[in-house]
Amino acid sequence: MAIKPEDLLRAIATMRGDAVCVPTMTTVPAWRTIAPDDLSVVCVGFMGGASSLGLGLALARPDRRVIVFDGDGSLLMQLGSLATVAAAQPRNLVHLVFKNGVYQTSGAQEVPGGLQVDFVAMAKAAGYREAYALADLDAFRRRFPATLRQEGPVLVELSTGLAEQTPMTAPGGKPFSQQVEELREKLREL
Amino acid sequence: MPESIPASLIIDVLKDTFREARAALAAEGYRAPRHEHLGWILSVPDTHQKSVLAALDKERAIRVLTCATEDEAVAIAAGLYIGGEPVALMIQHAGLYASVNTLRGVALDGRLPVFYMIGLLGREKDREPRDSRHSMVRYCEPLLDLFGVPHARLEGPSDVHLIPEYYRLSRARRGPAVLLVGLETS
Ligand SMILES: Cc1ncc(C[n+]2csc(CCOP(=O)(O)OP(=O)(O)O)c2C)c(N)n1
Ligand SMILES: [Mg+2]
Repeated sequence: MAIKPEDLLRAIATMRGDAVCVPTMTTVPAWRTIAPDDLSVVCVGFMGGASSLGLGLALARPDRRVIVFDGDGSLLMQLGSLATVAAAQPRNLVHLVFKNGVYQTSGAQEVPGGLQVDFVAMAKAAGYREAYALADLDAFRRRFPATLRQEGPVLVELSTGLAEQTPMTAPGGKPFSQQVEELREKLREL
Repeated sequence: MPESIPASLIIDVLKDTFREARAALAAEGYRAPRHEHLGWILSVPDTHQKSVLAALDKERAIRVLTCATEDEAVAIAAGLYIGGEPVALMIQHAGLYASVNTLRGVALDGRLPVFYMIGLLGREKDREPRDSRHSMVRYCEPLLDLFGVPHARLEGPSDVHLIPEYYRLSRARRGPAVLLVGLETS
């Protein structure tokens, strides 16, 4: 069973409180409409960088949660970041992997290993404090609030279907540089 | 002629640079951090600056985070900057080549101040880098020029004033700024 990514993002939006969110790839257009003008900064133009961008934010602001919405292909591109995150031990980092088995944004080519790749095992082996997989929206709704309170880093592998939009079909949003400056200002005031 | 710079000198100047950066952040309205350290070094180990990295192991005022790739280091630096933390990268020329897309996508497109110290392993004392026998050394400055990244050589103890200058330059230009460490640090 695969979860509709838009449903997942809507559920996250109701639960995330004042967490900083870092979407990438197909979560970008959906998140832009679900949570406009909020505490988010996207990873577009540097594929694989979401986990590291989130790590930097989490280390700089240990007082608040940081939630990364990673792609499976993206995480494979910077797989070593699992070890870097684990070694830095950010207690406030939640790393969500939207596992659709494909590079949807570039045309839905299968990622190496397709759905076989086990990100939970990889995160645990790298030293994440916790990692688990979910393929059901209700289970996610039940479990995620506790995940947001527990000590990180935590990785959650989410089995998702294809998104309605990708950054290619729905380009736009604020330029990355503007998002950076706006988030920096908001964080300074908080 | 390039000359070796002692690690202790580089670390003292980095500490002053971070202190100044913290004062600038406070003037911007940032609260004082709850932790003790002045700033962060993100590194994928550089053979040329290994004495600095070794000395930093014992330095409590600076937090060193070893990254698996230079791409990570640049993106982590972006997150730290957004969150109001001073940060510098210590990598080697091969690491710059390995992370060109992130230099472009994060530091340039994101207008993110990323201050790099890049070791020029193999730089010959008696040759200009552009005439080096080693491609790693030869292509570094032309690559930075191509991307419009300001750079200078850190080639002796009298050059260390460039560390705060290039750190400030990265902030003022809101983009990358690079110091090339010409000789292995001592
Ligand atoms: C360095 C680099 N190589 C290749 C690409 C082309 N590309 C753009 S999006 C994408 C797929 C992203 O896949 P994934 O992270 O799984 O996210 P999804 O689109 O499935 O949500 C690829 C390969 C790129 N942007 N950058
Ligand atoms: Mg994917």
